[in-house]
Amino acid sequence: MQIADGPERRTTMTLGLPGHLARDSLSRALAHAGHCAAWVCLGIGAVVGVIGATIGGDPAGWVGAALTTLMAVLLVLVARYPTVTLTLVYLVVGTGTVLALAVLVMDPAYRFETTNNVILALPRIALILVGGAGTGSVLAITWATLGYGLGEAASFLGAALAGGDWAPNFAAATAFGIVVVVRAFDGLSRRSDSRRETGLHRASQQTRELVIRHDYELRATARLHDTALSHLVAIAAAGSGPVDQRLRDGIRQDLGLIVGRDWAIDHGQAVQSSGTGRGRDRGETATVASSADDTPTLETAFAAAANAGLAVRMTGDLGVLGALGPARAAALDAAVAQCLVNVARHADVAEAELALGLGDGEVTVAVMDSGVGFDEREVPEDRIGLRTSIRARIEQEGGTVRLWSTKGIGTTIVLTVPEGGE
Amino acid sequence: MSRMRLTQQEADPIGAITAAPLVVIGAVLAFGASVVLTYAHWSEVGSPLVALLGIVLVALAGLAAAISAAPSRAPFSAERLWLVVALAVGAAIAEYVSTIGADRYLYDDFGPIVIGMLILSLAPYCTWMSLILAGVLSAAVLSILVVGTATTTAIAPPLPALIAVNAAAVLAMSAAAAGYSFAIVDETLAWQREANRAALHRDADLRAGIARSVQQSRVSVLGREVLPFLAGVMTSDRISVADADRARELAEALRRALKAGIESTWLDDLAATVRMSRGIPVVIDDPVGAAADLAADQRSALTALLSWLSEGSHSSAIRVSIDGGGRRRRIDILAEPGASPPSRRELDRFAAVARAVSMRAEVAVTRDNVSVELSHVPD
Repeated sequence: MQIADGPERRTTMTLGLPGHLARDSLSRALAHAGHCAAWVCLGIGAVVGVIGATIGGDPAGWVGAALTTLMAVLLVLVARYPTVTLTLVYLVVGTGTVLALAVLVMDPAYRFETTNNVILALPRIALILVGGAGTGSVLAITWATLGYGLGEAASFLGAALAGGDWAPNFAAATAFGIVVVVRAFDGLSRRSDSRRETGLHRASQQTRELVIRHDYELRATARLHDTALSHLVAIAAAGSGPVDQRLRDGIRQDLGLIVGRDWAIDHGQAVQSSGTGRGRDRGETATVASSADDTPTLETAFAAAANAGLAVRMTGDLGVLGALGPARAAALDAAVAQCLVNVARHADVAEAELALGLGDGEVTVAVMDSGVGFDEREVPEDRIGLRTSIRARIEQEGGTVRLWSTKGIGTTIVLTVPEGGE
Repeated sequence: MSRMRLTQQEADPIGAITAAPLVVIGAVLAFGASVVLTYAHWSEVGSPLVALLGIVLVALAGLAAAISAAPSRAPFSAERLWLVVALAVGAAIAEYVSTIGADRYLYDDFGPIVIGMLILSLAPYCTWMSLILAGVLSAAVLSILVVGTATTTAIAPPLPALIAVNAAAVLAMSAAAAGYSFAIVDETLAWQREANRAALHRDADLRAGIARSVQQSRVSVLGREVLPFLAGVMTSDRISVADADRARELAEALRRALKAGIESTWLDDLAATVRMSRGIPVVIDDPVGAAADLAADQRSALTALLSWLSEGSHSSAIRVSIDGGGRRRRIDILAEPGASPPSRRELDRFAAVARAVSMRAEVAVTRDNVSVELSHVPD
């Protein structure tokens, strides 16, 4: 039973912002919005100043352009490092700018009737939109109020100094009103906590879990189905009578495969590399047969494993053997076969893992089992075919054999041969 | 998805739903500003009818903004922004025509404020690029009008300065709108990347945990019957008639389990979880397993709705039926109200989330039942 790739492989996407981040994120986004508007105001202020100085021939324009540019640069710093100190510095410099511009603009030569004019509105709006240190609506409204108050005071003082009339600036008041409305709305709407109530983040986590769980359940069922069903059917068909020896062996082999292991995990990997259950051997043959005709295979090794009743899971590509000459590939094949025979005889497991790789001019085959393992010093001289069948063959081809084994954990043998050869 | 083509409504649907009343406030303020400012410069108005037309156009623009940003009409499309901006620019032109030849101060014209305010209030529903574009294009139209007004203003600065100053309100407010849209989408995507990374990390642990816990599930219950039985047969000498019957039963149960496993979807598992943890009967009627065709974020939206319905006595029974036939899949969620039945407003929130993930959503609340109809076209 081959299970198609689970739907969990689709790209996953978490919706929206979680409640605990919404406050800070919204606060930062609103501050950024204010800064963008402030930069536009200051930029237009600077442009108007330059136009006045160049086209209008009024040197005071340069002063206005320089002051608004200074404010814009300071605001960049506030946006980058929203500390209390920088916020205060910006407010002080901004207040000074408004005062200086009020003195300049309220000169009767410009014929502005009151301080409620567009030129003074530009730096004053930028002052209100300071954003400022910290997050949250109350703090943001506090900084905006400071900006509004300081701007109004500065234009009042400027008008008095220049001998003009003071009037509250309509545009600045509008900007201040918008900031207060938006910030207050943001603060109040977050009280209802609709984000937490909706539980989108939790739901997306739950969905992931459900999909993974469903996938595993299906694989586990498939595994059980593959390994046990044919036996059950055979028992049902046999009716009463003595137990057939082949049935007995088959059951023993499959039970050894399943019981006491994380079989859902194994199954998940096994379906990708080979057939499963009773069809396992056929799967392996198919793999071998599907290799290109002139590419060497591990035919001897797989045959040896099948004869010994050992299931082999393979990772990596058999095609890497194409980097070897036929004789060297055959030697490797024979050595791997001997490794697998050893696993079947001594490791007390029904399954071994093969990993093939190509790198640094060498072909590597690792044979792994999670069997009983052994202590190399305790192995009798005559028992293991390692010395002659494996080591001699590989070393003759200029390769190396490394072996790790731990009692109760398993054994890994890594065979490495250089590319090429006869 | 690129942040250039994303709106807050798409990245953070709940945020956009929350912001909807702000559009109404913005529209009302824009209308108020047009009335107050028209009254303030009434002495300059040459044709009162056109002045009134200007105010009516502002009202229409505000209405269009408020209606098109309503959660029930999500998702907001770019054309709606252009409709609102076109109406507002129309109002500014009407104002210009009404005071043509007599406009002493540009400063008390409502045109720039109204356009800017409406663009600003639609920030959660538009991409930052379209907001900038809307601002720049409206500012261009206003600049053309200024050239016509320049001869009549009380103060006569150089024309470029007049154009720059007159565009300030629109440009500043659209810059604010674009800045907000960019920043909130950026923040949301950054968090989502982080969350997805963490989720992928967690998946590894989850897989191991689930692999173990699957052994407690219905499969393993079956396994616990099948495996000892096989072991028993293996070690005994003979198979009895009872053994053969039992083998047949188990084989049948195994086939059924596999079939059920293949036919069931994550939605069945969700229903089982809800049933077990909340004790609310949840029936899934999905004969062809169409729930598997939902995209990940659509699943999240549906999971959120079902979880919420099953919590806090919102409902006493839930039935989900999926009509798998046809190109457009329909998902009907029918809930019997519990002790504290859901309000339409609460359900609209979920409907808006569903709309944000490319589903159509309709909510109907009566005294006897609550129904949410979702539909989508699978990829």
